[in-house]
Parts: sequence; structure tokens; C-alpha cells
Amino acid sequence: MISLEMDLEKLKSEAKTVLSIMAAIGLLTIILGIASGNYRGQFLCLTLGLIVVFFSVVELIRSLRGANVRSIGIPYIQGLWVSASMGLGYVVTSPAPYFQLPPLFSAILFIIGWVLLGLGVYKLLSVSRKTGLPLAV
Amino acid sequence: MGNKSSVKDVYGDYATLTIPSSEYRSTLNIFMVYMGVLAVVAAIWAGSGLAQMYDPWTILKVALVGNVILGIFGALIAYVGGATRANTYMLLRYPLGRIGAMIGNLVVSGLPLLMWFAVETWLFGVTLNIIWPDQVWADIAVASIWGGILMMTTAYFGFKAIALLSYITVPFWYTLIFIGFMAAVDTAGGFEKLWSVGPETFAPLGLGITYVVGLYASGCVITSDVSRYGEKKWSGSLAWALHVIMFMTLLLFIGGSMTLLTGSPHVIAAIAKIGLGLGALLLAALGQWTTNDNNLWSGSLAWVNTVGKLNKKTWVLILGVIGTIIAGVWGGLYKASLDPFIQFGTFLGYFIPPVGAVLIADFYVFRKYILKINDPDKRYSFGPGTKYAAVNVPGVVAMAAGGIIGWYTTVHNIGVPVLNAIAVSFLLYLALIIPMHKAGVKYEVGVWVEKPTGF
Repeated sequence: MISLEMDLEKLKSEAKTVLSIMAAIGLLTIILGIASGNYRGQFLCLTLGLIVVFFSVVELIRSLRGANVRSIGIPYIQGLWVSASMGLGYVVTSPAPYFQLPPLFSAILFIIGWVLLGLGVYKLLSVSRKTGLPLAV
Repeated sequence: MGNKSSVKDVYGDYATLTIPSSEYRSTLNIFMVYMGVLAVVAAIWAGSGLAQMYDPWTILKVALVGNVILGIFGALIAYVGGATRANTYMLLRYPLGRIGAMIGNLVVSGLPLLMWFAVETWLFGVTLNIIWPDQVWADIAVASIWGGILMMTTAYFGFKAIALLSYITVPFWYTLIFIGFMAAVDTAGGFEKLWSVGPETFAPLGLGITYVVGLYASGCVITSDVSRYGEKKWSGSLAWALHVIMFMTLLLFIGGSMTLLTGSPHVIAAIAKIGLGLGALLLAALGQWTTNDNNLWSGSLAWVNTVGKLNKKTWVLILGVIGTIIAGVWGGLYKASLDPFIQFGTFLGYFIPPVGAVLIADFYVFRKYILKINDPDKRYSFGPGTKYAAVNVPGVVAMAAGGIIGWYTTVHNIGVPVLNAIAVSFLLYLALIIPMHKAGVKYEVGVWVEKPTGF
């Protein structure tokens, strides 16, 4: 059941903040990938990072345009879902031998992956509980 | 259309009832459900099967043709679910009769999904064995058994943590497949290499197309199980067609290409060989979880509608135990061999589509043009007290004939066996039922009255 007392402006503000953070983290991973000096690492970070940035920005815009809990909450949840998933991707792939990332970059991306994943999952559960929207939207 | 009555959902998940409008979901949601089912190792593993038969370019062609067949076929059936708000097992009561539908349910879902649960469990064992080849607990047969028990348990209790992790995995799974493909091309020496690899001999194209259709034949015929929830009647049709034609084709192509480019026996070995990491392989193992949950869920729906006793959760346990035993035996006898998997996929390709063909013939042709029921919502009705034939003779005959023709033309390499099976069932059903109806000959035997539980 969607909470009718949900403060829409508060929800929008939260979506704006969190998805902006996600997009910034995605951008950071792209910069790290480029800085790694290794084409395989660059490919990995460009792929995952661009997905995070793209979905965070698009869903942020959709969320800000929303006028009710569903039209704000659904894009917010979708943005969190994709970003958390790519965070899992960084956790899984940054230590992989194929990408030949220098150890420092690999470690930083591994940590960033956990941050994206942890923040994403935490906010997914929190938003779902507050708005009454299911995770599978 | 939709369940507006106060009939209690005794079996769970509207197994014998139509969906109420309060449960409708968006087209995107339906699409994501289908994509979640596809996010599994078996889809790219199947590509490895094609790699034993063709080069990458032919794999792409065969996969596309096979998936276009699945796309059209499944979309037609999905629309029936969207219009009637009923699952596949209820829909089959009309073209096959109530008792005929029980046979159809077992052919389409009850037995194949049990086997798919076993296959996915076996693949779980194969994946773990690649990661830890020297550990006893990661022996294919051993891992299949404890993995199957775990998957069955989480499906039964519905552990939210597992469901959440599986849900998070889906977008990255598709990204990983893309990354894996590019990595395979890179390590092999570029795209020029991609177009130069292939097996020594090619299989007939018809065999490959039948294999591709067989891989998802069960899912194709039971699209109504998901599409019945779509907010629009065509939600499921669009979602199904898009996901199978685009993404299933890509997955098969990528799985086959990775196998050929790395010279590995199968795609899981290819992922390990490329060096995508332990995490990628663990993710592959985790990917088995969601799909196996769905396999048990859909399979139990079929058995509930067939037997009418025990609830969905109990059937999840029964099917889980049997499937786990099969997986363990399979792993012990065949290890990681692709041969039984290819035979299994081909078998499904000629046995299951005839059931869908009879449903399509009945809903879109017989009921519309012969019985003159133009409104799709009114062609099938359900609810306590509804009378069905016990057996629809043309339906059962056509279904059996299609399966036999599919098998025969596979063995003798005649045309595209799956298309032969579909055509024979579709045409034979109409060739029997229309003249019999017009001549006033009784084609439905016995009567079955729907009980208050919906059974």
C-alpha cells in the first residue's frame, strides 16, 4: 500500500541526492579506468561506469519530473537497482586477472563496488518500505 | 476479464483462478520477469551446444530463425493469457479437454520443468567443479545434490535475501556476458578470428533450429503464466517477443562464440580460461538460483492443475527432491558432457510446440471464425460451475500427431522438425474439429464441472 502521507518533496530531494552520488561515483570509476593506463581496465570501467552514470542521470530526471509517489519512486528504485548491480559488477571483476588492473586501482574499484552495492541495496530497501512500492518495478 | 468473484485461492498464486485487476503489472515489469528467467548460465551454455554444430555466423542465423519462431509462437499464446487472465494450464482445458489438459500440462510443463530444474542444478555443479576441481564437495554429482537441496529450500521458504541478491544480479549478468564476449574476442586475436573458427562438420540447419526452439519451448508455451498479469492484453506478447528475439539470440551467439574462440569444451570453462575471475563464476552459479525458483514455481502450477491435490509449496518440495536426484545421477554419469543436453533440447523442440499449436488453432481460428466468438475475452471462460469437455478428441490427436511427426522428421532429417510438428498439429486440429463441428459429430467426450476451488 503506497503511503499517502509520503512527503513528495522530501522523496524527490532524496532521489536527487542519492542518484547524484551514484552518478558521481560512476564518473569517478571512469576516470580511474582511464588513469589505469590499461585498455582492458579502461574497457571495464567505461562499460560499467557509463551504465551507472547513464541510468542514474536518466532516472534522476524522470524522478524529478514525477508528481506522485509512483512516478517519483519507480525511477528512483530503477536507478538504484542498476547502480547497485554495477557495483556488484565492480566487486566481481576488479580483481579478475583478465583486466590486468594495477593492484591499487583494483583495490579502489573493489571498494567503490562495495559502496555502490551497499548504498544501493540499503536505499532500495528503505525506499521500498517508505513508499510501499515493490522492488521489482 | 479477471477474477471478480470471492473464490478463495486455495492452491496459491491463482493456480486455478483468473488474475484480479488489482494484481496487474506494467509491460516493463513483465519484460523484466522474462529477462530474469533468461539471466541464467543455461542460455549461454546452450550456445556451447550450437558451437559443436556450427560456426559463429551460422549460429547467429540459426539462433535468429529459431527465436523468431519462438517469438511469434510465444506472443500468440501470451496474448491468450492477457485476454483471459488465466495461466496456460487453465487455457488448455478448452483445446484439449479437462483430462486432455492434464496430459498437456505434463508435456508442456510438469515434466520439462522438472527436467530443467535438474539441468540447472547440474550446471550449478559443473560451475562449482570448474572453480574447485579438486574438492570432493565440488564434484559435479555431489555439488548437484547439495545445490539442488539448497535451491529447493530457498524456493520453498522464499528467502528474501536470496531473492534480493538474485534481483540485483540480473542487470550485471547481461553486462558480464557482453564483457565476456569482448574479452574472448580480445584474447583470441580480434574479430577476424571470430569469423574463422568453427567445428569440422556442420549439423543440418533444421536440427539446430529445432534445438534452439526446444531450449525455450516450454517457456514459450507457458508465457500465459506471466502474461496473465500484464496491464494490457498485449503486454506479455510484446515483452516476450522482444526479449526472446533480441536477447536469447545474442546469448546463444555469445555463448557459442566464446566457446569456439577459447577452444573450451563449454562456456563456463571459457569464462574461467579467459580469466574473468572467481567472482564471475560464482555469479554464474548464483544465476541458477532465480531461474530454478521459477522452474519449480511454474512446474508446481502444472502439477496442481493436473492432480488437484496438495498446494503449490508442497509440489515445490516434491519436484525439488526428484529433480535433485536426477541432477546428481546426470552429473555422476555424464559429468560435464554436452551430449545429453543437446538431445534434451532437441526432444523438447518437437514434443512441446504441438501443445501450443493446438491452443493457437483453437483460440484464433476455431473459436473466432467457426464458433463466431469475436471478442477474445469471451472465447474462454472460467469459474466454479463452468463445464468443460473431459477430452477434446481432435486436440489430443493433433497434439500427439505433431509430437510424433516432430520426432520422425528429426530422426530422418526432413525439413525443420519443429516447424513440421507445429504445422501438423495446427492443421490437423482444424482439419478434424471443423468438419466434425459442421457435421454435428460429437468431438468432445465426457463433461467436467469446475469445482469451487477452481480445479
